[in-house]
Amino acid sequence: MTEQTQIPVTVLTGYLGAGKTTLLNRVLTENHGKKYAVIVNEFGEIGIDNDLVVGADEEIFEMNNGCICCTVRGDLIRIIGGLLKRKDKFDAILVETTGLADPAPVAQTFFTDDDIKKRTKLDSIVTVVDAKHIDQRLDDSDEAEEQIAFADIVLLNKTDLVSPEALAKVEAHIRTLNPFAKIYRTERSNIPLDQILNRGAFDLKRALELDPHFLCDHEHGHHHHDHAAASTIHDTDIHSISLSTDKPLDLQKFDAWVADVLMTDGQRILRTKGILNMAAKDERFVFQAVHMVSEGTFTGPWPSKDNRRSRLVFIGRKLDEAALKRGFDSCIA
Amino acid sequence: MATSVSRAPVVAHEFGAYVVSATANGRLFGVAFGDGMVRLIDSEILDAKPVEVQAHVGAALCLAADIEKGAFLSGGDDGNLNKISALGAVEVVAEHKGRWVEHVTTHSGSGVRAYSVGKDAFVLGKQKTEPRKLTHATSVGGLAINPKGRRLAVAHYGGVSLWWLAQDSPPALLPWKGSHLQTVWSPDGDYVVTAMQENALHGWRLSDNEHMRMSGYGAKVRSAAFGRRGHFLATGGAESVICWPFTGGGPMGKAPFEFGGAGGAPCTAVAANPEMDVFAAGFEDGSVIVGQPGPKAAMLIIMGGGSPVTALCWNPDGDRLLAGTEAGDVNIADFRA
Repeated sequence: MTEQTQIPVTVLTGYLGAGKTTLLNRVLTENHGKKYAVIVNEFGEIGIDNDLVVGADEEIFEMNNGCICCTVRGDLIRIIGGLLKRKDKFDAILVETTGLADPAPVAQTFFTDDDIKKRTKLDSIVTVVDAKHIDQRLDDSDEAEEQIAFADIVLLNKTDLVSPEALAKVEAHIRTLNPFAKIYRTERSNIPLDQILNRGAFDLKRALELDPHFLCDHEHGHHHHDHAAASTIHDTDIHSISLSTDKPLDLQKFDAWVADVLMTDGQRILRTKGILNMAAKDERFVFQAVHMVSEGTFTGPWPSKDNRRSRLVFIGRKLDEAALKRGFDSCIA
Repeated sequence: MATSVSRAPVVAHEFGAYVVSATANGRLFGVAFGDGMVRLIDSEILDAKPVEVQAHVGAALCLAADIEKGAFLSGGDDGNLNKISALGAVEVVAEHKGRWVEHVTTHSGSGVRAYSVGKDAFVLGKQKTEPRKLTHATSVGGLAINPKGRRLAVAHYGGVSLWWLAQDSPPALLPWKGSHLQTVWSPDGDYVVTAMQENALHGWRLSDNEHMRMSGYGAKVRSAAFGRRGHFLATGGAESVICWPFTGGGPMGKAPFEFGGAGGAPCTAVAANPEMDVFAAGFEDGSVIVGQPGPKAAMLIIMGGGSPVTALCWNPDGDRLLAGTEAGDVNIADFRA
């Protein structure tokens, strides 16, 4: 059997009017050397007649009797299955979701369906945020929060419309929701496309390249409590828990603990990312999960022998920080 | 299990694009490809040059034998349903610009053509009249007309809708959780079976609304075919060809028979021989076998190695077998020799 290359898939989320369409039009028209198949939720917005633009109606499928991690997007399975029959027509796929879409079923589609898993790979989730209106959005919609919580990359767009102080506040708010996303400030979605496409955020081997600062507990380290003062928060709001230690962990203990956490609380935990120092191993262990769907692997040496610090981030709702910290500490070898 | 390697000669073609579907109409094999081509191959003269038609701009997505002898219907991601004559003339039967024609099926006896675009199935007769539109809550995953040509089964998320073709009445719903795809009807018309998005089949016995859950597969089932007399339903999705017995009250509570499975790759396509009680099966490793379920299971290895088999089809006499692959290989085994 011939080994097939996996086609990278970028998922583009963001509230209506945040600037997704501007970005899509750039992907379709700019000369970036790659041919994208684009799956859009509304045909009308794209002013381009291109046979690689496909319209999709969101169809949420519960598989295996409604297990949450098996909630997938049936329309994407169908459309990507059809696109994959084409011959050498495109290099990558971009999936646009509606402003109201839950990103979890989109992401889970790429880990749940065998055919799609074999032929494509989720590259990254890019969320476009309107710097001027995001505070209001976060107050009145769960989806806006979820889209930021799921993001690997956040485009903080329309920065020209707000003051530097307001921008700093919005960025801090995004950080509290998602400590590991890479944030880019843009106007009119003007970012070099290679900064957001084909980044390999879901590729464990490349996860560190995307965010070399993941291990540094700098300004966004333990600030997940602070935003409670900044805006009115009700207890279903998304927050993050960041755990770290300098002591090596025991791989078996960690595997058992994290599997149990995701099994028990995987509905509330949206995403998990970690880079971990396992006892008696010279390589870094990279771990990530979307709800209960997880993967972890050793990915190469630590950059410096002296700074082998483990860090694990949970993003979710009503997370029990004390219990997570106890569990994490119990994995110390 | 008795195994032998066939000495049947194989005529091999390399067309270089994903084989989407293959079917026969009279002596012609029709094969639809991921580059929009449809090729017609004469099963009587295997070394003749195929008739080649650029039927669609993007990919062809589905193919069926038309109700006219020697003609085929193909649907594509250009939104067209095309009729391709035995000589290769293309006629646009229906157009749905910006959408995909994903499934098509026909019944020559009753002169019915049915196809689907997203959530809608359309039924056309022989005459060029406005098609009847049948709308569903979710996208159509599969279509099948019953052997008498009077009912249309439409698979979708949450079950199967059964429409009477001649009556303008709402459908009967066969409900079952999950997403239902390829749909087959037993030769006696009493069973409807779907291959699901999950690694399972689901079936309904229409006479008493009895359910059948057929699970335990290691991969998506993808393909299922009743034998010509309806005694067995052969299915893909496992390393061997799983064949459920439908004699004596159906498969409920019975273990399936199986054959093949030496290669270790999952079965991706099955096709029932129209003249004998045997099935052809294609696998992800490119191998193709012909075998018989039951206590005296036996099989022949026809072809081995290569790209995953995506389409399998017998000619009406059951002595020529066409296999198509993801890589675009089309191989035809000749059992007359």
